[in-house]
Amino acid sequence: MDCTKQSLKSWSNIENRHRRIALTGNEIENSSDLRESEREIFCYAATLADPEISTPVLRSVPWNMLPLSLLKTAQGHPMLVELKNGETYNGHLVNCDTWMNIHLREVICTSKDGDRFWRMPECYIRGNTIKYLRVPDEVIDKVQEETKSRADRKPPGVGRGRGRGREDSTSGGRPAKGMGGRGLDDGGAKGMGGGRGRGGAGGRTGGSRGTGRGR
Amino acid sequence: MSSGAGLESLVDQTISVITNDGRNIVGVLKGFDQATNIILDESHERVYSTKAGVQQLVLGLYIIRGDNISIVGELDEELDANLDLSKLRAHPLKPVIH
Repeated sequence: MDCTKQSLKSWSNIENRHRRIALTGNEIENSSDLRESEREIFCYAATLADPEISTPVLRSVPWNMLPLSLLKTAQGHPMLVELKNGETYNGHLVNCDTWMNIHLREVICTSKDGDRFWRMPECYIRGNTIKYLRVPDEVIDKVQEETKSRADRKPPGVGRGRGRGREDSTSGGRPAKGMGGRGLDDGGAKGMGGGRGRGGAGGRTGGSRGTGRGR
Repeated sequence: MSSGAGLESLVDQTISVITNDGRNIVGVLKGFDQATNIILDESHERVYSTKAGVQQLVLGLYIIRGDNISIVGELDEELDANLDLSKLRAHPLKPVIH
């Protein structure tokens, strides 16, 4: 996208109150392993944070909404799920996870040829059997509201296991849940999050192989 | 436009998707992830047949799982608008054989 190198470079020259954003911009620019979409998200979030430094080009950067975020937002809504084997399940989404495993209530299952039906109070579908999901149209607007408000609250780049622990205030929030496995930063994060039940960092880095199955 | 080879440059544009079961779904790409799961808004399916013109079924908002996607292509909207789908005859695609 157009909003990468040049504009970020010029941002890095902006003094004082823009400095933190500009710094973040530099880091993003210099880290080759960040995906393009993440830069875009950064650009977009920065324009939200401070319209003064934005340009029309930056404003028009499209937002890549994650399919699983949309699915999460669809909780409580009716939806249709078609499996790879052609069966379809109509029901209300109770919950879903990062593997797209989904839990439905008040379900009607339809056979592949569409001539047999089963009603069931609830069902759980393994994510990798899904072909597609049909979601009510209005759900997409709710995601946008949520993502925007999240971008307002936090500067981008936090919780990525990057950035040498600038911002002490947020470090307790959700450290290193994103990527894990990256040097010193992770060590610190594990220390802080150690007492908590789900310890995201530990699960991803070392211990994941054994623990996942054991339960 | 975009320097990357990903789908970033197609976000908010109309795309055409061929799925593993041989369907052609057209809609606006709203998002995607590492597994090529994609969000399609205002989507419709184009059903091809040799006996009748192309039928368009309205689908709405879809999340298509990446496992089931063969091809994602940009749709040239001007070119598409000039197509007379009702006169177009074509064999339906066969499903992918794994």
